[in-house]
Amino acid sequence: MSAHLRFTGLSRRFGRRWVLQRVGGEVATGGVLLVHGRNGSGKSTLLRCLAGLSGLDAGEIHYQENGSPLDPEARRRAIGYVAPDLTFYEPLTIEENLTFFARLRGLPGDTARSAVARIGLDPGAYFGVLSSGMRQRVRWAWALLARPRLLLLDEPFQNLDPPGEALARELLAEHLEGGLAVVASPISVELPRVTGVIELAG
Amino acid sequence: MSPASSNWLAEVGAVFAKEWRAELRTRYALNTFALFGLTTLFTASASLGTLSIPLAERAAVLPVILWLILLFALTAGLPRTFVHEEETHTATALRLAASPVALFVGKQAYNLVLTLALEALVAPLFLVLFDLEVQNVGVFLATLVAGAFGLATGSTLVAAMIAAAQGKSTLFAVLALPVLLPLLLFTVQLSRSALTGEAPGQALPALLLYDASVAVAALLLFPVVWNP
Amino acid sequence: MRKILQLALLVLGWLVILGGFLWAPLGKGFLGHSSRILFFHVPMAWASFIAFIAAGVWSVRYLIGRDEEHDRSAAVAVELGLLFGVLATVTGAMWARTMWGAFWNWDPRQVSIAFALLFYAAYLALRSSIPDEEARRRLTASYAVLGLAIAPFLFFIAPRMVPTSLHPEPVINAQGKPAMESRMLMVLIGGFVWATALFFWLHDLGRRCARVVARREAPPLPVE
Repeated sequence: MSAHLRFTGLSRRFGRRWVLQRVGGEVATGGVLLVHGRNGSGKSTLLRCLAGLSGLDAGEIHYQENGSPLDPEARRRAIGYVAPDLTFYEPLTIEENLTFFARLRGLPGDTARSAVARIGLDPGAYFGVLSSGMRQRVRWAWALLARPRLLLLDEPFQNLDPPGEALARELLAEHLEGGLAVVASPISVELPRVTGVIELAG
Repeated sequence: MSPASSNWLAEVGAVFAKEWRAELRTRYALNTFALFGLTTLFTASASLGTLSIPLAERAAVLPVILWLILLFALTAGLPRTFVHEEETHTATALRLAASPVALFVGKQAYNLVLTLALEALVAPLFLVLFDLEVQNVGVFLATLVAGAFGLATGSTLVAAMIAAAQGKSTLFAVLALPVLLPLLLFTVQLSRSALTGEAPGQALPALLLYDASVAVAALLLFPVVWNP
Repeated sequence: MRKILQLALLVLGWLVILGGFLWAPLGKGFLGHSSRILFFHVPMAWASFIAFIAAGVWSVRYLIGRDEEHDRSAAVAVELGLLFGVLATVTGAMWARTMWGAFWNWDPRQVSIAFALLFYAAYLALRSSIPDEEARRRLTASYAVLGLAIAPFLFFIAPRMVPTSLHPEPVINAQGKPAMESRMLMVLIGGFVWATALFFWLHDLGRRCARVVARREAPPLPVE
């Protein structure tokens, strides 16, 4: 399994302000591309553009798995994504939420159960009553459900307690065995296997 | 059946089941429909029922009341389909996980069942309260089902369109009404002929053609509406 | 070249007005001078029709190519279609008051144009309520394309449900033989050409204005 992400000249404007101006980067299997910048420098926007959740005003994104390029539609469904604005259904339990998304992706029935077990939360707890740190754990479980090659992480350790952060780092290390990651963070984080850094000036 | 199409059906089923699970826990749409439908129906019958309009005129005039009640009850409940996903930020996960067409069909099927449930509540009460008798039961039921399909399909697409806009609830009515107006013309005429026993004429094929056109347009447009 | 075309448009407009009031004879079966409004009412209805069709075509092209220029073209066409549509409705209602005794008769054609005006007014309402520009272009274009899907029901199928139209036979009827005195016909054809040209001229102006506004609202990507 090999995957490769390369993007050039990404630009995005909101109103009168160019949030992203000709951002480019590249990362391959086993590597981490780190995105640094202050609040409002466009880190989240960059990740949303890479995920296909936001349109582009200019620029190109090329992503391929095993040598074959994926179009934006296929790329959207092939990635794992962790971000502060990612939320799940509050009237459903953690396990029901993850089972729903596992069924959408055609994954085997026990995928959701083992994902919940991994993050150490009660599968019967309603998402609506979870604390912010517990929600962050659910985001990690959700992002890795389908074993994606490309992981986009926006402030991935936010709100996590020390055991939670250790778990997340462990999950990231496992993911990097066969995948790649783009990590956005306002503060400098120690990460293994960083192969590139983007400094967003904003 | 190929694995791709069986997985597609499983996706539709997953969306449909998720909607119902969340709905049965909150009862938001069902309560809205029941309260809105009954309140407007009782208001209409309280003010019109005392006028003792002759039966022939009742059958000709009142169908529009039934369809306006259904339309406005749906306007109060259906936009939530997509608005709630955007407002609670669950749309992001859905965008990344679901194929757009399967998502639309699942949501549309859920809205169709809700609409049929609303009709099952309001239509019999409408007939009883206004002392109307259906002369042609087949046409009446066909109108309710085909009407529900068109209302649910058009509303689901418009709901997806307004999810990114401001002032969503008022905007839904503004956008959905012109789209659904031809349907109302057909269903009102069909209900009238079902009540009076006249031949329905071209209104039934016209209604079915409308349903088909809106469904095709919705399947083509939804991926564009849903994803940037 | 542009100046010559503008002058031709002005001259043609005056020819239609003068011809319609002074040169063309009165229509048979019309009360008083009421047939003269035809020279303005029918071209206005025609212009609003082509404006809405053009808006649909430009919206489809936007969704295919995602060129902002097509989006602006569609929006300007909708605005002009509403303008011409309101003029056609008002002139039609004035004529209906004279001929049928009431401004509004729920004639199938009145119903169709009223629904079309509602639809495109809703288009503008949608346009003004989406903050993100990319989403605004994409969603309004989708709504306009949805309009293309339901337009046949408004204009061809729903009116046929009500067979009692008092509206005069459309000018271009099924036989392709306009039943009209030749001078009236000439003024009317002049009116069609004038309204069509007026639409495209106003559309060009509107689109250029929209482009200037867009450039002011949206600065280009700064050079490095």
